[in-house]
Amino acid sequence: MTVLGRAYPRVVGTQREVSWLLFDVLMPMMGVIGYVLVYKALKAPEDYVGFVVIGGAMIAFWMNVLWSMSSQLYWEKEQGNLALYIISPANLMAILLGMAVGGLVATTIRATFVIVFGSLLFQVHYALTSFWQLGVVFVLCMVALYGMGMMASSMFLLLSREAWHIANLVQEPVSLASGFYFPIKFFPFWVAAVASFIPLTLGLDAIRQLIFASGPTLGFISISLEIWILLGLSIVFVTGARFLLKKMENLAKKEGRLTEARR
Amino acid sequence: MLDQFSIQTEKLGRVYKLRGAKKGEARSLVALKDIDLTVHRGELFGLLGPNGAGKTTLIKILTTLLSPTSGRAMVAGVDVERYPDKVRPLINMVSGGESSGYGLLTVRDNLWMFSQFYVIPSKEANARIKKLLDIVGLKDKTNIRSSDLSTGLRQKMNIVRGFMTDPDVLFMDEPSLGLDVEASRDVRHFIREWVNQDQRRTLMLTTHYMVEADELCDRVAIINHGQVLACDKPATLKRQLQEHAIFEIEIQENPNLDIAGFKSIRGVNSVTRQEVDSKVSLEFVLKEEAVLADVIGKLTQMQLRIQNLRKREPTLEDVFVRLVGRRMEEEEKNAESSAN
Amino acid sequence: MKVKRTNFWLSFKTAIWLGWKIESNWTDPFLFFIYSVIKPITGASIVVIMFSVITHADFSSPMFAYMFIGNTFYQYVAAIMTGVSWAIMDDREHYRTLKYIYTAPVHIPLYLIGRGVARFLTATFAVLILMVFGIFILKIPIQFANVHWGLFLLTMALGAVMLSMIGLLLAGIALNTLRQNFFIGDVVAGSFFLLCGVIYPLDILPNGIRQIGYFIPVTYWIELIRRSFVGNIAQAFPTFTQFSDLQLVLILLGTAVVFGVIGYISFILFDRRAREKGFIDWSTSY
Repeated sequence: MTVLGRAYPRVVGTQREVSWLLFDVLMPMMGVIGYVLVYKALKAPEDYVGFVVIGGAMIAFWMNVLWSMSSQLYWEKEQGNLALYIISPANLMAILLGMAVGGLVATTIRATFVIVFGSLLFQVHYALTSFWQLGVVFVLCMVALYGMGMMASSMFLLLSREAWHIANLVQEPVSLASGFYFPIKFFPFWVAAVASFIPLTLGLDAIRQLIFASGPTLGFISISLEIWILLGLSIVFVTGARFLLKKMENLAKKEGRLTEARR
Repeated sequence: MLDQFSIQTEKLGRVYKLRGAKKGEARSLVALKDIDLTVHRGELFGLLGPNGAGKTTLIKILTTLLSPTSGRAMVAGVDVERYPDKVRPLINMVSGGESSGYGLLTVRDNLWMFSQFYVIPSKEANARIKKLLDIVGLKDKTNIRSSDLSTGLRQKMNIVRGFMTDPDVLFMDEPSLGLDVEASRDVRHFIREWVNQDQRRTLMLTTHYMVEADELCDRVAIINHGQVLACDKPATLKRQLQEHAIFEIEIQENPNLDIAGFKSIRGVNSVTRQEVDSKVSLEFVLKEEAVLADVIGKLTQMQLRIQNLRKREPTLEDVFVRLVGRRMEEEEKNAESSAN
Repeated sequence: MKVKRTNFWLSFKTAIWLGWKIESNWTDPFLFFIYSVIKPITGASIVVIMFSVITHADFSSPMFAYMFIGNTFYQYVAAIMTGVSWAIMDDREHYRTLKYIYTAPVHIPLYLIGRGVARFLTATFAVLILMVFGIFILKIPIQFANVHWGLFLLTMALGAVMLSMIGLLLAGIALNTLRQNFFIGDVVAGSFFLLCGVIYPLDILPNGIRQIGYFIPVTYWIELIRRSFVGNIAQAFPTFTQFSDLQLVLILLGTAVVFGVIGYISFILFDRRAREKGFIDWSTSY
């Protein structure tokens, strides 16, 4: 109920003010088009265009996690709502999930639009090898990603405007390390291995291997191994989120940081 | 030669369009209607009314933040709609109940920055800041970040920001909101002195605290539903009620109490009920003192025992009740339920 | 004391001061430093790696210099435009001071542009970091002796003014829209990224769309920046081969003036609308 309750204002808000469509759909599409044209200027193989389209769609989920969940507690604190959530009987994880679910409406529209429009515009050819594996990879990737987002949000409970700076800071490095627009196989092994702690890295790599003809040759590690790792990350992040949220909440209470609004 | 009037409005109106109105619902909201007001130079003028009466809308128009939809308004002799740039050097504004300001800046930095917008040389600005912070009791917080201040202290900082530029016309929108009793008293005292010191200065304040308006203002306009119901000196407004007698009668809460029964008594202009602890306080505005006997007779009929009876001097609250038919809190509640 | 009418210089100067205070408001200066270095490098590295993957790290290719310089100096485009337009959102929604700024005798357009100056300064830091990275790590063929400094400074000056005026147009739009639309500067900057030959020659774009780029001053600005640093390499690309530096400067000036006039007039109109609608002290977050 908490999840639905917290998702409600987000969903209603997206319906009441639809100008977000312009910015949340148009903007990522522009990024995709830009990078596709770079590959075209470099005369890259066709599948690379597809990599950009899929990467551009997955960025939507990353942005949702980063801005609509992780740093959201900071914004709630600024608005004075955080105290109200804390004193309510609602579980903080459920509240965060509600925020993310609410934002998921826009995110899913955004991702779908990017894939459909990008694929049509650039005539991307797909070669899907296993639908069920694709489904499993996607779900595990999302669970792990959102779990990671919840862990990060616990950190933001302690922070003030640094939260915004840190969210801003990690945006590009994660985009780079996760290989949104290129296969991470081209990174040195240990760089790719460390980057694999970000769920999207292996998620994207597995998706590429499953839906593009050249995917398997450009994959980092095997799909089955990636699925197991994603499963492990899901368990670790979700459990970690539960633990950290409580710990950070108590710490923030002790230090009086739950209700400060350093505007 | 200075203009006689600091503020003048002629048939000033403001209508808001309501977005997303469904069929059968109102599509617009009349916030102000045909407001004709004049405020003399050197006056401390009050706008009194319940929440949603239109006070803040009027202030916004006069401070060039909002355009009127009809009529016109002049501040310091300048049309606010046509020449906002000419008005702004002459005015300033303080809003109550909010904690605006740049939290990352110190109190002094926040104030200095605004002084620069008013083209006050730094040396002069710093001197004024120092003096005013001392007056409002923020001297020891000068170099503290404003994000570290409580809401009340931040409000004091904003009050200093308003006075610091020494405007010809200062607008204060609910200035006591967010301040404790002592601080409110200090601010009221300061406001009065500030206006008295220089006849060039005019101050318009909005409030829904009757006592504040009564204590401070040279003249008061009572506003409700976007219209001015009365405008005069507080004493004159109250004197209009002095032809009537006002009595407060305290009784124990009792199911036999029937307010309508009192209203049927000839000579009873109005009766309002307030509950304090388990007691009920009835306030009677009577045409003449002699009617009191009939009221007491009625109380006896209802088997209600009088615990306390006193005669009261009329207040602005009584004036409001006379004009609107309800107390201000009741009017606010009524407005809220209509909105819902 | 009689307050003077709006002082343009003070509005601008104080806004720069405030903008810098906000931009540099980091509790940890080290974190600020890391942010200032990491963010631009990782952003640019995406394109570098994409290039490297396809061309097997052939950084001596003229195409790389073309892409890298364009991508580096594009930082200014986003920074200045968002810096100017974001000030509206920041002051209105976050600090709740916009109404006080509006009530004061401030020249609002200059105030907003002043707020953008801080972003210009942080972008300059990012650009310097990237150019050092590009020249010394990636070995882009730039020789300081051959850099056309006069052209570079003139182009930068024209560009700063031009981007500020576009930012002003966006600020006017921001004044009339939801808080959630604080990306407006990014959206427009993103459009310019696609249409102005920032990281690929305009010729890559389909006919029809390519023509849009010719009307946007940023196209000529980026081209002139490239010519300042790697004149011969830039001129090797077909898009503007037939234009001399002077011709490009004049085209930049002309398009900048047009956009400047549009930007300023638009802001005045949007500003008026905001006052009619009561948007100046609006609060819209959900």
